[in-house]
Amino acid sequence: MASADSENRPGTQEAIPQAVKIIVAGGFGAGKTTMVASVSEITPLSTEEVMTEASQGVDDLGGVENKTTTTVALDFGRITINDDIVLYLFGTPGQDRFWFMWDELVEGALGAVVLADTRRLDTCFHAVDFFERRGVPFVVAVNRFEGAAVYETEEVREALDVSAGVPVVMADARERESSKEVLVALVTHIIDSRRPAMSG
Amino acid sequence: MSAEGRHARRLTDRGTDSSTDGNEPRPDDGREDAEYERFLRPYAVDVGTAEAVPPTTAGTTGPADLDLLALVMAARTPGRHEWLRPERETILNHALRARTVAELAAEVGLPVGQVRVMVAEMVADGSLQRCGPSRPLGRQDILHAVLVGLRSL
Repeated sequence: MASADSENRPGTQEAIPQAVKIIVAGGFGAGKTTMVASVSEITPLSTEEVMTEASQGVDDLGGVENKTTTTVALDFGRITINDDIVLYLFGTPGQDRFWFMWDELVEGALGAVVLADTRRLDTCFHAVDFFERRGVPFVVAVNRFEGAAVYETEEVREALDVSAGVPVVMADARERESSKEVLVALVTHIIDSRRPAMSG
Repeated sequence: MSAEGRHARRLTDRGTDSSTDGNEPRPDDGREDAEYERFLRPYAVDVGTAEAVPPTTAGTTGPADLDLLALVMAARTPGRHEWLRPERETILNHALRARTVAELAAEVGLPVGQVRVMVAEMVADGSLQRCGPSRPLGRQDILHAVLVGLRSL
């Protein structure tokens, strides 16, 4: 029996790569999905998480009628780094009320990109705050929107009040090359920031 | 607008067959009409229950152990004997190579939470196996490889 299907026995022959992830965060409409799509080797995949929450302050004695559901879309892309590593890029759900999902998303992530929209800079305060408090390395990428005023990276840094050690880079999320540079800046930052902490 | 106070939709009931006539589900006073733009398709997928999977002990996998990037792979050939639960065969077909839970959810078209429960059950019954990378790398090696890989994109 075992020998009968051993020929096309699923997936025993191929090397299994390690799956790692980088989070792309930012406010609603900051360009997260655009950035993921511009560097992903596949059309970004989308899945949903349906959250069921018991109504606030009510003991759940009645079953479903006391619960409400919320559907959160989760978009992600993929970059095959080499035979050993596949990098996944996860866009965070943009709306603030989906914060509860961030903890799981961020768990085990290499780091994060915070996409800033200079027209609505305040929409990424939460993301900056979140990663700072959890000690997740991140870079701020200022997504250039047409028609938006042009700011220097230092102005953005000051406005966001991020520490000098956090790279702030300009980006165009629609451009593959630009998005790639942002990711390179992030990974470089992660590598660099791990080193001096020891010798410091 | 509080973070928890607004919800896309309230599920009125589970077994509404007879009760819907006299008691149509409707938005509360229509106040939140804007938030009802999205309907939740009812699922008729037998995903079992999280409780059906034995609590995690050494060597077993519960849904909570399956994060988005947990890797699983088919441990048997997809067959027809699961015809009452075709989602499982679909999962198997997509998992002929190692797949992450997130990818399976996207490919099967079901929410991650449901897929997690199904995958955990399938690991428990031997249809799927969890797998780790063939060549586990340290974090520093990963970072350097990712940097090189990104630069050469």
